[in-house]
Amino acid sequence: MNLSGMRVFDHADEVDVIVVGSGAGGAPLTASLASAGLRVVVLEAGPNVEPGDHTPDETEAVDIIWMDERLSGGETPTAFGPNNSGRGVGGSTLHWGAFTPRPDARDMSFRRETGQGVDWPISPSELMPYVARVEQYLGVSGPSNYPWDPDRRYALPPVARNASSEMMMRGCEALGIRATDAPAAVISQDWQQEGFGLRQACVNCGACHQGCRNGAKVSMDTSYLPVALSRGAEIRADSTVHTIETDKSGAVTAVIYRRGGVDHRQRCAMLVLSAGGIETPRLLLHNALANSTGQVGRNFMAHGGVQVWGRFDQLMRSYRGYPSSIISEDMVRPPDAAFVGGYLMQSLGAMPLTFATTLIRGSSLWGPELTEALEQYPYMAGLGINAECLPSDSNRLTLSDEVDELGVPKAHIRFTAGENEKAIEAHAVTTMTNIVSAAGGSDILVLPRSAHTLGTCRLGETADVGVVDADGRSFDIPNLWICDTSVFPSSLTANPGLTMMALSLRTADAILSTTW
Amino acid sequence: MSSKSARVSARPVAFCLHALGASSVEFAHLRDALAGEIEVVAIDLPGFGDTAWVDGASVEETVEFVIRRIRAHGAARWMLVGHSMGGKIASIIAARTLSGRAPLFGLAGVVLLAASPVTPEPMAEDRRELMIGWASESHSASDGHLSDESAREFVDANIAEPLAETDMASAVSGVRRTDPLAWRAWLERGSREDWSSEVGNLAVPALIVSGAQDGDLGDPAQRRLNGATYLAAKFVTIEHAAHLLPIERPQEVAAAILTFWRDHAGTSPGVPPSTGRVIASERTSERTRGILSRRVLADDPGYQPLVLSSQQLATLRDIAERLVPQGDDAIDLAARVDQQLGRGGGDGWRNAALPADVDAYRLGLDALVGFGVDTPERQGEMIAQLIDGSFVAEGSTLNSKQLQFWFEDARVDLARQWMAHPATFSRVKYDGFGNGGDGVRKQGFTLLEAGRREAWEPSGGGTE
Repeated sequence: MNLSGMRVFDHADEVDVIVVGSGAGGAPLTASLASAGLRVVVLEAGPNVEPGDHTPDETEAVDIIWMDERLSGGETPTAFGPNNSGRGVGGSTLHWGAFTPRPDARDMSFRRETGQGVDWPISPSELMPYVARVEQYLGVSGPSNYPWDPDRRYALPPVARNASSEMMMRGCEALGIRATDAPAAVISQDWQQEGFGLRQACVNCGACHQGCRNGAKVSMDTSYLPVALSRGAEIRADSTVHTIETDKSGAVTAVIYRRGGVDHRQRCAMLVLSAGGIETPRLLLHNALANSTGQVGRNFMAHGGVQVWGRFDQLMRSYRGYPSSIISEDMVRPPDAAFVGGYLMQSLGAMPLTFATTLIRGSSLWGPELTEALEQYPYMAGLGINAECLPSDSNRLTLSDEVDELGVPKAHIRFTAGENEKAIEAHAVTTMTNIVSAAGGSDILVLPRSAHTLGTCRLGETADVGVVDADGRSFDIPNLWICDTSVFPSSLTANPGLTMMALSLRTADAILSTTW
Repeated sequence: MSSKSARVSARPVAFCLHALGASSVEFAHLRDALAGEIEVVAIDLPGFGDTAWVDGASVEETVEFVIRRIRAHGAARWMLVGHSMGGKIASIIAARTLSGRAPLFGLAGVVLLAASPVTPEPMAEDRRELMIGWASESHSASDGHLSDESAREFVDANIAEPLAETDMASAVSGVRRTDPLAWRAWLERGSREDWSSEVGNLAVPALIVSGAQDGDLGDPAQRRLNGATYLAAKFVTIEHAAHLLPIERPQEVAAAILTFWRDHAGTSPGVPPSTGRVIASERTSERTRGILSRRVLADDPGYQPLVLSSQQLATLRDIAERLVPQGDDAIDLAARVDQQLGRGGGDGWRNAALPADVDAYRLGLDALVGFGVDTPERQGEMIAQLIDGSFVAEGSTLNSKQLQFWFEDARVDLARQWMAHPATFSRVKYDGFGNGGDGVRKQGFTLLEAGRREAWEPSGGGTE
């Protein structure tokens, strides 16, 4: 993004707020705080680039991905890298899928409904106005009639359907499953973005996950961050925070970050960690902060994301068009469930290397059978899910014995899908296999995977169950706040992006209403 | 796309750029010597031969002129051959092709013949003055061009042994036909310009040829000057030759080029012309074009591994051959994985049961040493066991489970290297690299339905 004319703070200045991370957690909040007159510095580990600099080439597009190594363990290790965390001004919104279902009220009151999992310490009715604000500000595209919420209205008509979309619609219709155009933070028409300027309408280039080159897809560098900058916030790229300093009372006084091989100290009155579900708890554990009850790193969750692909007679070439343009919420609470919670379904587009990786990790193919399967790529179309994942004390992030270049121990994440997750996956595989088959697909391929980094610093009513309170404020350190997906107490079936941005605006309001 | 249209023309094109005071004619013998193997397309640079100096003959203008000619030709797979002055032009074009800036695709190699470097050419000032003087009014012929006498003196100074009469006449004629302004443009400006920061280092396979009896641009200068530009260069010196290599020793030059093509430059899988055309087009961004242009360069047959031992690399090559079988002109997937490991380019995570990526590869490959000499049946058994987690490697510190995790990473890494090559893109009918160029508005896709193709796509518009 264009950083010219940006206000620059001195290292000797004590700024009001430092925000670590510039993604969906850090950016909306920064815009709000700066608009309220606070002096805010955002420290982003990755570089600053222009949208037009992105490339659809998957090998090179990892420059917008957090590629520092993490150790993944447990019985169902989750994949990191391009599968979740981002890097660069804009954070994970540079590569996110922009699939924006709203959080389901039932999912936020999960324990009250099911007796399992946990409830959010925030009522859905309190969060929903923030969700609507985000949608209106960013321009979300969606259907005129949303079957699961008939009163809902989207600012823009849906983005174009592709071959996978038509397949999913066909299959769902044959089975009596409701499906429609997905809510997407991708503008289907040119949109004047307040604080930024023109975002061009989506041209169906298909490379959302490699970085949107014309501003059609929402990312923080073409929305909230330019607003924040225009209101006086500073965005410091290539700056990796590794140390948090506190005074005798335990309050945060400064952070130390590495930029260009040199350590810098920036003083602050308040710190907001928005570094994501892995880097935030890693930073806290490394600095032994905010962890008096041992909650940091616990209850790591990853959404179930199993995919079912089928082979079709026609060329599907699902790399064309918005990758997830169809949604079904019919399975958020399936009537025949042998589990609690449920899942969302979406149509899938996949780039060739992503397809190859998922295929290999999910199968035992090698040799001519592998290359033949890869050559079927253009004929394949599929569906995927985003499934509830119950929090579990044994799914946990800890620090490993290995350190990175900055001397910070690498994160070690143990994740084992529980019985409920397995039951959801089995249900989803059956449902999606039926849909793909009904749509005419053959040679069904089931590719298990999980996605997103949730939990690890969750919101809680008390310090015994959470790291931060319902507002996102640390129980231990009054001038430390956390605002990223690590605070999610339950996973929700909705993909986290929209909820995250809403939560970010809410956290900003909480900060502004606090005496400090 | 039918397999017929996907087939890559076997004969590469060599775009030949001549020396100062010469023209395309100087490559006539080379064309004959390479006929059947390599198509020689020699270009008259602006102000030389049949090309009038219309828009100027500066290095920049000459470079852009040649880029337009290569684009118009439409070659799918090509080399640049630059002689003396033409060498500097070739290097700059190579740099613009590999960065994606030029609307070209398919560069496979660069051949420099007694070539001028991208830095100022070493030239004695008195000699420069003498040559500039030949184009002055007092010395030039009545038509304003260099005199026959000056032309002969120039040719004589650049050869080791007397030329055949017809060759001598042709060489002198080349000098005589040179536009005196183009002559001066090179001597006064072009040869003195420093292009090294724009060109940088080039990874393209390169053959750098010098004449044993050349002066300022002989082998030592070639190694020092052009060797600094080309990271993967092979140096050849031709005996009984000075500076006019394609005229003096066309057979030897042709033989060196053929060997270079067969052993190195031409060993990568060919990308169908229809795919290359889209990559070269304005539908593909400069950055993406540059990425793909560099990726299709042939792997170095003498590749020295960055992090693996030679034995480990050999084992990985044997495994790659079974896991991701390729035909002739295979990509050296193992070498590319070694490079990826050497650059620290992991995928952002590893299974916690494994040591760091490089260590896992080393241990895993050591556990499989001798894989290449096993029978295909035994290899197949081993692979199946590695995948299902039952393979036991005696004496390895990796247990069966760890070997399984590592082998999954290796399968992914090797397959991704294969999948990422533009030749494979064509096989799997992927053309998303052409989803938008650098214009104010990106092109994207218009037809998204199953079975529909757009006219710009490599396979052309239609239904399938």
